[in-house]
Amino acid sequence: MQVDLVCRICDAAVSGRSSREERSRSSLPTLTAFNNPNCSHSPADIKAHNFGQTATMEDYDVPSAASILASVKEQEARFERLTRALEDERRNVSLQLERGSLPSDMLAGRTTGMSNQPLAWQQMVMQEQSPSNQTSLAMMQEPQEVVEETVTIEEDPGTPTSHVSVVTSDDGTTRRTETKDHLTNMKVTKMVKTVTTRTVRQVPLGPDGLPLPEGSSPLGSYTDSIDRRYMKNGDRFIMPQATSTLTRSYNNYADSYSDTPDTQFRHYALHDGYGDVTENYGSLSRGVNYRPYRPYMAAGGYRPENSYTLPIRKEDYGHVAQPQVPMGSSTVDLNRSQPERFQPEPYGLEDDRRSLGQDEEEPFDLEPDYSTANRRTLPGRTIREPLRNGPRVRGYEDPIEAELIDERHPYIHGMYPAPLAQPERGSLASLDHMGGRRSPSIDSIRKDPRWRDPDLPEVIAMLGHPIDPVKSNAAAYLQHLCYENDKIKKDVRQLKGIPVLVGLLDHPKSEVHRKACGALRNISFGKDHDNKVAIKNCDGIPALIRLMRKTNDMEVRELITGTLWNLSSYEPLKMVIINHGLQTMTNEVVIPHSGWEHEPNEDSKPRDAEWTTVFKNTSGCLRNVSSDGAEARRRLRECEGLVDALLHALQSAVGKKDMDNKSVENCVCIMRNLSYHVHKEVPGAEKFQDPSALQGPDSSGTQRKKKDDAGCFGGKKAKGRKNGEHDKNYDTLDLPKRTEPTKGFELLYQPEVVRLYLSLLTESQNYNTLEAAAGALQNLSAGQWTWSNYIRATVRKEKGLPILVELLRSDSDKVVRAVAIALRNLSIDRRNKDLIGSYAMRDLVSNLPSGQQRPAKNLEEDTVVAILNTIHEIITDSSENARSLMTAQAIDKLVAINRTSQSARETKAASHVLQTVWSYKELRNALTKDGWNKTHFQPIATGTPKGSKSCKPGYDDTTLPLMEKNQGSRGCGSGDMIPMDEFGPDGYSTINQRDSNSKYKSSDGSSDLQEREPFKNDTNRKHYIRSNRPTVSLVDACDVKPQPVDSWV
Amino acid sequence: MSYIPGQPVSVVVQRIEIQKLRDGDNLILGFSIGGGIDQDSNQNPFSEDKTDKGIYVTRVSKGGPAEVAGLRIGDKIMQVNGWDMTMVTHDQARKKLTKKNEDVVRLLVTRRSLEDVVRQSMMQQPTH
Repeated sequence: MQVDLVCRICDAAVSGRSSREERSRSSLPTLTAFNNPNCSHSPADIKAHNFGQTATMEDYDVPSAASILASVKEQEARFERLTRALEDERRNVSLQLERGSLPSDMLAGRTTGMSNQPLAWQQMVMQEQSPSNQTSLAMMQEPQEVVEETVTIEEDPGTPTSHVSVVTSDDGTTRRTETKDHLTNMKVTKMVKTVTTRTVRQVPLGPDGLPLPEGSSPLGSYTDSIDRRYMKNGDRFIMPQATSTLTRSYNNYADSYSDTPDTQFRHYALHDGYGDVTENYGSLSRGVNYRPYRPYMAAGGYRPENSYTLPIRKEDYGHVAQPQVPMGSSTVDLNRSQPERFQPEPYGLEDDRRSLGQDEEEPFDLEPDYSTANRRTLPGRTIREPLRNGPRVRGYEDPIEAELIDERHPYIHGMYPAPLAQPERGSLASLDHMGGRRSPSIDSIRKDPRWRDPDLPEVIAMLGHPIDPVKSNAAAYLQHLCYENDKIKKDVRQLKGIPVLVGLLDHPKSEVHRKACGALRNISFGKDHDNKVAIKNCDGIPALIRLMRKTNDMEVRELITGTLWNLSSYEPLKMVIINHGLQTMTNEVVIPHSGWEHEPNEDSKPRDAEWTTVFKNTSGCLRNVSSDGAEARRRLRECEGLVDALLHALQSAVGKKDMDNKSVENCVCIMRNLSYHVHKEVPGAEKFQDPSALQGPDSSGTQRKKKDDAGCFGGKKAKGRKNGEHDKNYDTLDLPKRTEPTKGFELLYQPEVVRLYLSLLTESQNYNTLEAAAGALQNLSAGQWTWSNYIRATVRKEKGLPILVELLRSDSDKVVRAVAIALRNLSIDRRNKDLIGSYAMRDLVSNLPSGQQRPAKNLEEDTVVAILNTIHEIITDSSENARSLMTAQAIDKLVAINRTSQSARETKAASHVLQTVWSYKELRNALTKDGWNKTHFQPIATGTPKGSKSCKPGYDDTTLPLMEKNQGSRGCGSGDMIPMDEFGPDGYSTINQRDSNSKYKSSDGSSDLQEREPFKNDTNRKHYIRSNRPTVSLVDACDVKPQPVDSWV
Repeated sequence: MSYIPGQPVSVVVQRIEIQKLRDGDNLILGFSIGGGIDQDSNQNPFSEDKTDKGIYVTRVSKGGPAEVAGLRIGDKIMQVNGWDMTMVTHDQARKKLTKKNEDVVRLLVTRRSLEDVVRQSMMQQPTH
């Protein structure tokens, strides 16, 4: 258990590192979360240990100096002997090794920890011939001794000299480990780079001649730094010794942990990685290490983070030391930027920018991938590979040795955290590293690390390298490079890297297609649509979908769906995605993750939705494509199981009160988009068209009003009016009979969804979700067909009006806007209109700017116009509502807007409202008493003729721009609103048209008196209703939310 | 009643003096308050401007001292015994109102109807 745990932490650390690498380019929320706990606890642990040790050393200092010296010397001698013996052995065994007979052993050794190591292990050890490894070899051979040695050494520090050295070694270890960690972290990058270099040099195939300087390898540089450090500390140590010392100190740590050596070691390494330790000791080694190398960083073509050189590592190290900070901060940044970038369009079908979310997570994906990949790959890895490469590599033995060390020697791993980095395994680079590490003496000879990063063409060329790990490393490196770097993305595209990456998606090895997918995701992100187009042009979309069908690996699926999400933000690609991927995404992701089942098992309770990243990405993608016009909507509606699954997911979200997450937001947005124009677009919609809407405008005006009246008071006194009957019947549920359960797109507009949206409106704190839910109601309540009648009535019956009114007070502009428009559509229902007029007026008005002072929430022009139009709709044909508009003190605000607003659209909209108010003659008295006169209610612009004729075009002007600005995306919102001002077939528009016509006409004539008569008669009754209402409706609205604190005093 | 934080507010206020009622060990005022800068002002049903984090009277017990003194539901409390109540936490307000050693609280409150009255009277002289 313990072991397990430690291992996991180790992995996490490594992945964290590599992600961190990523991190510099991408922020990894998940990672951060994952890593932090580890980091925070481990460094603390380590520090404590160090402390203890130091103390111990000092205690022992004085007495044992001489003896320690002696023992050190003795050990050195022993190592030498061992080395020699080992070298002999090694020769013998190396042949066997070449046959590749050992892989499983190696693996086993690695996994189980060295202490268990059987013969195989020892053999490998033997192969190690390098002097530097002596220590480790010795330990290997005599596992028990290890402990003892450690102890001795620990105590050794007594001698002043040795003390120094020990301390140094301590430092060094720490340092080194850290450095190593860096390496590990950098692993991805580094490995790749190294690979490049090596490959280029040794493999004739290499397309790129890498100007690698003579034999200076990353390893070399690495070693160099170590060596130097040592020297500085006490020149007396020769390389091998230094190494041994290091190892020993390692052991000490291990002891203190009292785990299996392997575990401890790893643990330790981890700690080191997180630089508390570093900080303590850091100044010493750091200074030595990195100053000399600095120039390199500058030289690197890439940013410092990218460069491979050790010094850079150091730099990076700095990052590593506080991984949380950078990660955190970057995450924060992204988040912060979200609101701005993601600005949901008012009617925002378009979610392009939301795809940003994707990139945010990239780091995640990468990291875990990395570590997992390594782990996973290990078993599958064959020794054959290195062997095959061997000949090409300059030192045939080098790779093998490196590998061996890697596998067998946990300690070394610890010191050079690279072991976990396995991924390189295939790559020569890692081998080099290992080798360098292993034999510092050799490496120290080439003190001049002049190797460099591969440049972009080289990396892209490596994508086509025959060796798979090279491919995957190159892809991973590309992903890293592309993170938040539009320039590099563009370069990759221009260098034709994208088709190669797409080609790798079909690669059988998961490592390869995963990394390629990761790179594509980064490349597909951003404003540069050319990258997206490039992916599409080489059939990247079908390739992604193919891979989605093929793989079960969650991480790969996250990457795929993330890429698709990014791609889906570009208009022209939406249909392509629908064509290739809609059903696959639905079947593979949406349905399974939503918890919906085609044929629910009666016995098992319905499953809840799982808000996985894959689901979030996929729903985001669908959300984007759902905005691509009528055809896209039709495809999505008719996609089997999609609507059912989305509804199920939302219902489960409501059930679990988990409604603020992005997945829910995406689902609601899809639903809203699919609800747009259902009354026109759904097959068979004609059958449901409301007959009253089909009548001529002249007759329908009156009739409609009557009908609405009846509806309004139907409950009280349902006279024999036909339409009233209809409405009333609905109250007792007169829905079309269903012979079979509703499914598919029909679910979109069933009255049952009203409750779902109302729950979301009540509970969600996510503005986008609120806006989308209000938008869905708005879409469903638009138009004249049977279902929208039902919806409008259902909203009322479900006590939805107070909920919506409540949201007029929202701080979010777009929520207010969506709600206002929804109220406007809902007020097509006469009873709704009365209720809204009574209870929403004050809130509507309070959202209007007053002359001097805008309300605290400074609403956008669009919102103000929407509210004005809603008010206009509400007071149309209802002098009662116009009266409540007056009592809400709207007139001075309206006049102020009309006279002083900078916005022509606001001015016009306000002017229409004022004209309507003035048209009610019965109100004029009161208006005059309040100090208003006719001039206040007339259009300001002299050129504007009054009356309905002129009014119409004015209206169009005010509303249409909404549409034009953003046709597709706004569609659902203003789209529904606009038809009403156009002559659309929409019942709504007709009504509006008609009403305003009659009103304006009547304002001068006497005919309006007749028309309005009924209202007057009903006034009393209305009052009655109203006085009852508030308690019910408004209190309801308040009750929905958690009650605010309220203290009796 | 909307205002910009940090800017002086000019409102029509009414003074209300409430004599606390002794109920056993407790002194009671007979009303309840809601709001405060630490509360969700959006949920305040009484405020006109939903960003207003002021202290509002949410309930008045029938026949209680507050009602007798003329306090009404929905009143916004501007001051308590001279202490500003427009920028306090809910609990701070509660404490100011419930000091054991004070038998009388003097409130400065504002309410919509007050403003309406003033506005009406000003309307009598139309400006143009």
